[in-house]
Amino acid sequence: MNEALVVIVRGVIGFVTLLIFARLLGKQQISQLTFFDYVLGITIGSIAASLTTDLTTRAWPHWVGLVVWTLMVAALQWITLKWRYASKYIDGEPTVVIMNGKIMEDTMKKTRYRTSDLLEQLRLKEVFDLSQVEFAVLETNGQLSVLKKSEYQTVTTQDLNISTDYQGIGTELIYDGVVVEQNLKQVDLDRTWLDNQLRNQGINDPSEVFLANLDTQGNLYIDRYRDHIQKLTDVGDYPGPH
Amino acid sequence: MLSGSYLKQPRGKDENVPGKLALVKENVRNADWESAQQDLEDTEKAWKKVIPRIQFSMERDEINNLGISLARARAAITAKDKAGALMELEEAASHWHNLGN
Repeated sequence: MNEALVVIVRGVIGFVTLLIFARLLGKQQISQLTFFDYVLGITIGSIAASLTTDLTTRAWPHWVGLVVWTLMVAALQWITLKWRYASKYIDGEPTVVIMNGKIMEDTMKKTRYRTSDLLEQLRLKEVFDLSQVEFAVLETNGQLSVLKKSEYQTVTTQDLNISTDYQGIGTELIYDGVVVEQNLKQVDLDRTWLDNQLRNQGINDPSEVFLANLDTQGNLYIDRYRDHIQKLTDVGDYPGPH
Repeated sequence: MLSGSYLKQPRGKDENVPGKLALVKENVRNADWESAQQDLEDTEKAWKKVIPRIQFSMERDEINNLGISLARARAAITAKDKAGALMELEEAASHWHNLGN
């Protein structure tokens, strides 16, 4: 019995299965996961690991376990989507920990949320003075949303009555040296226009360009493979491998 | 993953593990030790041919245990220990049955 070969085959099975199941479970990002989602992810990963390396049992029961857990997660997602009550019970609800500038001690105790956690998360939101906070909400994924008192909020162009131009999402016209024709067509431009723009910047061929991005104001950002930087800034502060 | 039960079935006469095991048992019962020895060697050869096919879908412990039972049976047959040989052969048959079940 060639154990390495068996592990390779079972590893491929586990990998492909996880890949498909992860796609089935949707687009929730790690930062949006609740604690329960996180534990579910770990469990599914652990079953896939056992499927690969636990040769004392057949791959089949592990695979069935993977299917069951994935289906349970999918079912739970569906239930929480359709049934608000279940969603409240399973995912929990956001908790207000600072209301009108006052810390809600009882609520914090109930959610086992420490003052040090609150202060840390406030600092992460660039709030170092508690008196600046009007509301702070502990979200179901553990993140803290902060609403500063109106006098401490950042001034926007709207506050200053300054008119601004529309700003949308930029479009990649060259990606890794290759012209993205589909995007070029989408912004009603053609190769002749792009070639002219490149020539204006001293570029003879799109293959010299790492990334070209067109913003909604019509500005073309171009980054070449050869950056011609004379002196590189090294952020490392200790000698070692790069 | 479920192919083991199918793949353990013999593809030819020289891969018939349960058939050869039955022959060994018969020889041990009749105290024909020489034939038992020969048939056991054939069983081990057959088993070694089956292992590469089933290794991906079967539990390693069952595969290893069947090999151990055959090794013990070989020792019992060498020692002409009828009871011991029959016990080990029966256990080997049980491991064979458990593969994939």
